[in-house]
Amino acid sequence: MTASLELDQVALTVELGPLRLEHPLVDASGTFDLLEYARRYPGDFLADFPYAAYVPKTVTADPRTGNPAPRVTETSAGMVNAIGLENPGIEAWIGGLHEWAALRQPVIVSVGGNSPDQYAAVVRALEAHLASASQETVPRIEAYELNVSCPNVAGGLQIGADPAATAAVVGACRALTTRFLIAKLTPNVSDVTVAARAAVEAGADGLSLVNTFKALVLDRETLRPFLGNRTGGLCGPAIKPIALRMVAEVAQALPGVPLVGMGGLMSGLDALEFIACGATAVGVGAANFTGFEAPSRILAELRAELAARGFASPAAARGIALGS
Amino acid sequence: MTAKAVDEDAHSEQWAETSHCRVSAVRRFGAFTALELVAPGVTAKASPGQFVMVTVPGGGYLLRRPLSLFTVHGDRVGLLVEARGSGSERLVALEVGETVDLAGPLGSAFPTHGVSNALLVGGGIGCAPLQYLADELSGAGANVTAAFGFRDFRAARAAGAFVIERLWVASEDGAIGRRGTVMDLIAELDAPPDTVVYACGPAPMIGAVQRWTFREGLRGYASLEAHMACGTGSCRGCVVDTTRGKLRVCSEGPVFALDEVQP
Repeated sequence: MTASLELDQVALTVELGPLRLEHPLVDASGTFDLLEYARRYPGDFLADFPYAAYVPKTVTADPRTGNPAPRVTETSAGMVNAIGLENPGIEAWIGGLHEWAALRQPVIVSVGGNSPDQYAAVVRALEAHLASASQETVPRIEAYELNVSCPNVAGGLQIGADPAATAAVVGACRALTTRFLIAKLTPNVSDVTVAARAAVEAGADGLSLVNTFKALVLDRETLRPFLGNRTGGLCGPAIKPIALRMVAEVAQALPGVPLVGMGGLMSGLDALEFIACGATAVGVGAANFTGFEAPSRILAELRAELAARGFASPAAARGIALGS
Repeated sequence: MTAKAVDEDAHSEQWAETSHCRVSAVRRFGAFTALELVAPGVTAKASPGQFVMVTVPGGGYLLRRPLSLFTVHGDRVGLLVEARGSGSERLVALEVGETVDLAGPLGSAFPTHGVSNALLVGGGIGCAPLQYLADELSGAGANVTAAFGFRDFRAARAAGAFVIERLWVASEDGAIGRRGTVMDLIAELDAPPDTVVYACGPAPMIGAVQRWTFREGLRGYASLEAHMACGTGSCRGCVVDTTRGKLRVCSEGPVFALDEVQP
């Protein structure tokens, strides 16, 4: 056992492919809206932004109104949601970029759709805008996260459950951008490494996992599906052990591919567990709903957990759960 | 009037920071429990109609519970809680001296500026935000009449938690007040034509109040309830249908113009 370190002996920076992150924490798409927090924050929110990169809510080619209410409910050690990718569409989304252009941190744009063409339309529109816009009017968009794993969109088909379909989406977007390209994988498969490999072979630079687990909650009185979409996606502490197992499986199957691990982490120790399973960066999702202070608390805890174990950096702890 | 105008009219300030608040008083009224907390960070910015996100103490609960501001006196915030599930059961079991985390105030407020005659219509736990509203309106010199409906005797005992000069109560079983619903009460009231109606309660009640105000030619506001996750505009979990499409109860609401909600 290595001797413990002082807190200031821990350097938290990590490199996610070409992205230099101040620390390993990013928000999980759809759980943290920068502008909504900014309007409820006493200081300069852009200056104090707590994550090392910002992953906004998934944007699609066309506007989507999302699913009927109710959309969320708490379950044992978790929650089930079925928002349905509500978003204004890429055109309006691009129109709002100037509002948060001053964000210091890199941005990972989460892209959704029902077909490779729809994903490509988002990437194409954004790349065209970034090529022509002046730098002060856009944030630092350095990566894409292809959300092929939302369990709550019409038809119930998850592209991410089909390796060929996943590869088609990744390939269509790869052809349009040189930016860091991440595929966000679904856990609703028997072997998560199959889609992971398909995504990387089609040109993904990194992978993020896991999205939510398809789930069903009943109304206790009527015994009918509670959510307006009938089914939803389970997240929160209940899924963490399964998410850790899947991150470890992908890290072992595809060594060297940068991973963003997520799924029910609530504390710095949870974040360190994802790093120990091979993640370079860690996504904070449902914990954002426990309060505005969650990311800064988790980051302080992560620093303390690294220091207590003598790890001078997240990289020093990365993958140690994978050895024999 | 649009909900945007609601926001502009009421000048509500929102505040996402969490403060640790000591419980300073607990009073029980049948099915409802009135908690009083020392929360200067909340009271400094609060307006009637707004809510706070309350962390259920003791761990084990992922999501915070949205509770509307029942009273605001000095640095004290009052919250009215009905035990509906295990989380709210823990909240009603709070004792004086315990500490609870609150974030807020959040959401839009009831516009009160320039109101001379106000009719406050509440159903069940939906009556909670109307006490703070009544205090504010009365303080500004408005004539305030309140009509509250409750299910049964146990729920109707909550009427004892309210201090409103003209408060009419109905209960469906007739145990307290008039037998019937709150709609039976307001049908018997003589509302002046400049009356502004403020409604909070279950969706069927909001719908009935909306139809009644249309018939009477009155304007008003409704405070809506929804299942929430973040409470701060991020997750889009709490949307309701309105004439302007799906809007978030936590962010564009909870107070909407009565003519734009679609209960």
